[in-house]
Amino acid sequence: MEKEHDRGRIHTFHRKKIVLIFALCGGVLLFLIGRLGKLMLYDSEYYSQKAQQLHERERDIKAARGRILDANGTVLADNKAVCTISVIHSQIKEPEKVIEVLSAELGMDEEKVRKRVEKVSSIERIQTNVEKEVGDRIREYNLAGVKVDEDFRRYYPFGELASKVLGFTGSDNQGIVGLEVKYDDVLAGDAGQILTMTDARGVELADTGESRLEPVEGYDLYISLDRNIQEYVQQAAYRVMEQKQADSVSILLMRPDNGEILAMANVPEFDLNDPFTLPEGTDDGLTDAEKQDALNQMWRNGCLNDTYEPGSTFKIITAAAGLEEGVVSLTDTFSCPGYKIVEDRRIRCHKTAGHGAETFVQGAMNSCNPVFIEVGLRLGIDNIYKYFNQFGLMTKTGIDLPGEAATIMHKKENMGLVELATVSFGQSFQITPVQLAATVSSIINGGLRVTPHFGVEVRTKDGTLVEVCQYPEGERIVSEETSEKMRYILEQVVDGGSGKNAYIEGYHIGGKTATSETLPRSAHKYISSFIGFTPASAPQVLGLCVIRNPQGTYYGGTIAAPVMKDIFENILPYLGIEKEETTETESES
Amino acid sequence: MILVMVLVAFGLITLYSTSAWNGQVKFKDPAYYFKKQFFATLLGLAAMLFISRMDYHIFEKYAVWAYVLSLILSGLVLLVGDSYNGSKRWLSLGPLSFQPAEFAKLAVILFLSKVISSQKQKRKGGILSLVRVMLLILPIVGLVGTNNLSTAIIILGIGVILVFVSHPRYLPFLGLGGIGVAFIAVFLGMESYRLERLAIWRDPESYEKGFQTIQGLYAIGSGGLFGKGLGESIQKLGFVPEAQNDMIFSIICEELGLAGAAALILIFLVLIWRFMVISTHAPDLFGALAAAGIMGHIAIQVILNVAVVTNTIPNTGITLPFISYGGTSVLFLLSEMGLAMSIARKSSLGTPDRSGKIG
Repeated sequence: MEKEHDRGRIHTFHRKKIVLIFALCGGVLLFLIGRLGKLMLYDSEYYSQKAQQLHERERDIKAARGRILDANGTVLADNKAVCTISVIHSQIKEPEKVIEVLSAELGMDEEKVRKRVEKVSSIERIQTNVEKEVGDRIREYNLAGVKVDEDFRRYYPFGELASKVLGFTGSDNQGIVGLEVKYDDVLAGDAGQILTMTDARGVELADTGESRLEPVEGYDLYISLDRNIQEYVQQAAYRVMEQKQADSVSILLMRPDNGEILAMANVPEFDLNDPFTLPEGTDDGLTDAEKQDALNQMWRNGCLNDTYEPGSTFKIITAAAGLEEGVVSLTDTFSCPGYKIVEDRRIRCHKTAGHGAETFVQGAMNSCNPVFIEVGLRLGIDNIYKYFNQFGLMTKTGIDLPGEAATIMHKKENMGLVELATVSFGQSFQITPVQLAATVSSIINGGLRVTPHFGVEVRTKDGTLVEVCQYPEGERIVSEETSEKMRYILEQVVDGGSGKNAYIEGYHIGGKTATSETLPRSAHKYISSFIGFTPASAPQVLGLCVIRNPQGTYYGGTIAAPVMKDIFENILPYLGIEKEETTETESES
Repeated sequence: MILVMVLVAFGLITLYSTSAWNGQVKFKDPAYYFKKQFFATLLGLAAMLFISRMDYHIFEKYAVWAYVLSLILSGLVLLVGDSYNGSKRWLSLGPLSFQPAEFAKLAVILFLSKVISSQKQKRKGGILSLVRVMLLILPIVGLVGTNNLSTAIIILGIGVILVFVSHPRYLPFLGLGGIGVAFIAVFLGMESYRLERLAIWRDPESYEKGFQTIQGLYAIGSGGLFGKGLGESIQKLGFVPEAQNDMIFSIICEELGLAGAAALILIFLVLIWRFMVISTHAPDLFGALAAAGIMGHIAIQVILNVAVVTNTIPNTGITLPFISYGGTSVLFLLSEMGLAMSIARKSSLGTPDRSGKIG
């Protein structure tokens, strides 16, 4: 019994130890409360912010994109309300009816709709860019789990009009080509956001409310392009392209005094409302990469994305350089035997029989190659380079469209006299049409360099002016005197020289034709062009017409000059440039 | 008794709050977990009342058999157990499933109390006697530990506490602790995934597997001083994995804030204090040891759970007593409460003047 008792007895040390263990546990628990306090008070912000981020789902609200308006305020690029139809799987009550209605209204394959409706996901998009009327109809069915979200879609009321200038946007409301991308930050606006709380599966919590960040709509862009002129020019371009079965035609109309572009047609154009469809019959059997190439090709703006050999139109620049440098005067006489020998090369004139004796002015009227080779040789390589730089030919024009191509020119150290001679009459180097138009504009406008551009003003939707587009102050590239002489020479070219097909009774028109052969020369493909301006004494409008690979007659004076004549005839009255009655005396010189 | 009821009620409410979403998502019934838990709780309360009326010395008689039974069951679970979440821890008996590991805890408490109290008292018992007692529980630690490391650690902890209490000296335990640390180090080094857990613990945000820890911390941090209010937790909506189990404390923090969480810990502390009182006033060594074991059990689980959730120690799956979801756990915890009450009743019979203090 004694033993038994001893066995089961509690000693003091037992109690002590139990208390000790309790004290230890208590200490640890108090420490943990402290730790909790640190986490929940001191670090609370850090963790609750993290948690907040985790719980919030952002949904963007598209900002309405700004419009693009022409010189008259006609809307060229607008927004159209469209709908996005989606289904929320967990909320659908009558799947069969949903499938039936959606496939009927959207004109979609039933199997396709079924697959999306039956897919277990938080939200599944059925179709985007649905016409608003269709979206409204679907909404009226009041089907549980079907969501109709209104949205904007870019809409171009004139379809093909100036497609390569305006460009278009992608589904994310972002510009892809043309002005739409160049002025994206002006047009895009700021997307708004809807913040909602969701659980781990991304399902929105009903009663937590949502915070909205309202979108800021984009600004409207007013451009110098005139819809009426553009329409006429585009038609003229299509006409000549068909007549001459040419590959493409580019026509550019700008104001030589300030660089505003009135029209820029590059036919064939494409439909801005359907920019991802290639012309019929050309998209068969293409791989994705090939198709993308073809699309990029279709979107190219021939006026500035591609370079060409300017040919005789470039003689304007050679002449201006020669006059400015003082190596030639209007009355200098030249003799053309039909060719000119430079080093070991015999460079032919287009008139093989030769133009005989002629003044510099007559040489320009005849577009005589030996005369300009002579001027080029008198200038020398250093001066040609100097004037290329001075005229801005070695830099880009700075036009407000993306993808402007740079001039392709001989390296100075590789340039010999033969190259100098060919450059003098516009061959063996390449520039863009817009570069030529801008440079000639600058030579004839009194000698100040202009930046060709479209953007004029930025306004809010209700018309409040936000910003006037600024362009660099034009630098002087030739003297007033040279500019005046050039206007005189070029008027002679149209009045009685190679450009006479652009002559319009009652108007003073200056201009220059060109016919250049593309590389490789053996292909016998040509580019015919004409650059003209009016009124000759104080130019208000300058036009450049480039016809690529015409069939049959390919002389610029024969096929390109009449196009510009036709355009001038029709748009000059519209622009308020009146005929003068003193034409008789002028045209005789 | 009141404390236990408070805890149980509190547990059921937060369990419902926490598990409603998971239940809804997984079983289309927000009360799915709640119902099961409620049933187990009722059963547990009945067991508690029943046991508290019994003479706890009955358990002394059957302690060895209970231990053997727990060994058998733990062995059985390895062979024919049900898996859930990748762990084989359940024995199914018709619609009821049973977690032997929970039973093992109680069995170990009883068994060690019996073994130690019936040992011949050696005034200067060396370390050998300690080791001998520890060796006795190694089989169950091993069996349980093969698929449930956390519970094995708890059982080991209970064992250490009981041996510590039973022995008059302190110094050997420092040595034992040293051996334990060394053992843990070797144990960790053996398997690289355990080292990985350590790395996750140090910097949970850099590891994908730190997800649960991080989500728990997010929940705790979101709580602030007074929390978002009962039922307002967002983290429980699938962000915190197993929100109704191990991580339930983080949701309590989120919903009830620091105030609620601290109050809960204090309730546990008071409960542990009650066990200490019961233990020190027990009529004999068996009762004292059993109460101490129960105290150790609750204390270890609470401490480890809170420490894990607050990322104070590396992540390991330990439930919060009375609060976390788990029918077997609640059943046996309540049985332990009954046992403690029975011990208290005995001591109060011996010393009537203390009767007022018994919970």
